[in-house]
Amino acid sequence: MSENLLKEICNRVLSLFKQTEKEEENAKDVACNRLRVVLMQDRTNLTPELLQRMRKELVELLSKYVEMDKDALELNFDQEGDQMALMLSIPVIRAKDEKEIEEALKAEDEAKESDEDLESEADDDSEEEKTDDNSDEGSSDDEEEEKETENEEAKSEEVEITEETSEEPEQNHE
Amino acid sequence: MTGRVIVITSGKGGVGKTTTNANIGTALAKAGNKVVMIDTDLGLRNLDLLLGLENRIVYTIVDVVEKRCKLKQALVKDKKNPNLCLLAAAQTRDKTAVTEEQLKEICEQLQKDFDFILVDCPAGIEQGFQNAVAGASEAIVVTTPEMSAVRDADRIIGLLEAKEEIESYKLLINRVRPNLIKSNDMMSVEDVAEILSADLIGIIPEDTGIITSTNKGEPIVNDEDSLAGKAYRNVAHRIMGEEVPFLNLEEETSFMTKVKKFFSHLVGKEK
Repeated sequence: MSENLLKEICNRVLSLFKQTEKEEENAKDVACNRLRVVLMQDRTNLTPELLQRMRKELVELLSKYVEMDKDALELNFDQEGDQMALMLSIPVIRAKDEKEIEEALKAEDEAKESDEDLESEADDDSEEEKTDDNSDEGSSDDEEEEKETENEEAKSEEVEITEETSEEPEQNHE
Repeated sequence: MTGRVIVITSGKGGVGKTTTNANIGTALAKAGNKVVMIDTDLGLRNLDLLLGLENRIVYTIVDVVEKRCKLKQALVKDKKNPNLCLLAAAQTRDKTAVTEEQLKEICEQLQKDFDFILVDCPAGIEQGFQNAVAGASEAIVVTTPEMSAVRDADRIIGLLEAKEEIESYKLLINRVRPNLIKSNDMMSVEDVAEILSADLIGIIPEDTGIITSTNKGEPIVNDEDSLAGKAYRNVAHRIMGEEVPFLNLEEETSFMTKVKKFFSHLVGKEK
């Protein structure tokens, strides 16, 4: 009995030490992890902002199906040989029941439809703009002029020259 | 004879490109190969210093390119090993004095007479790098187990992979400190190789002997007792296609091994 107790105490004490060791991440692991993140940014052209956005979108997407711990979401890139993998780890709090999922999907479909309407309108607009640009060069020059006038105060000396070159479209518009 | 053209590059400066070049070149020559080293770091040449040849340079690579001398005239023979030559960089010119095409041509000419052409690449990823890589078909990427060096090595590897002429590249990890790795204060060789997903050709321990060998102008591979020298000699043999196991640095640098070596040294002397 006493032997067992002694062992248990030993194990407890040891496990305490192990825990404290784990809590404080060593310099090597910090370096490895920071490097992995930075290299993935270098290799994929994903900035921290983009990664954040990707996280947010993934949470939105997955929340429809399961309830999860959003703050504990881990998004990592892993490299195995030449293959790059996106590793996503999220603790699931509970599974959603059918109703909840259906509702979420329905709400999304509705949102999508209204989005599509908006998008298609927006598409029409942008197309019109494009054709405008092609047919009437004046409009793009117009924009440039706006910028130039903004800079006018700061670069009063240069303005004279730029104004001369941009005179023509201005006259056209008038 | 068509010699192998190997560029030694790193991206980051100060990780030991030139030291690696001098030592691998010397080790390859010691093993019986005809070796020529080209310093392409125009304006910042140093390979001559590490080899102790700074006073023997008459013509440089720029003189060759501008036809003030023949290629053979510009090759400086090593003091000890007649198999080893250096084509020095010009100290008074900048990176634009030699073009990619010209370097390629020089490499092609040297391939006829030498087994190995080692090209010492300047730091950075600009024209100097492009020039150095132009004539090469193999590359050794030098890095250290430090974040900035590994990051730069990753960039270099990306650039090398995009080059059709480069058939293969290998990783050399320099300045490894087994004690720091053991205490988890430094990335291990395995960590670096895994992060860069590249094949290793050498692991060189940090060695104070490098400083003295540089000061004397004598590559450390000539020192039979030096661990870094041994590691570099192993690299040379791997380049030659031999299978040489990597040194167990943790064991080699441990206190007990040092004590054992010390005693065996004493015993050896008594005999």
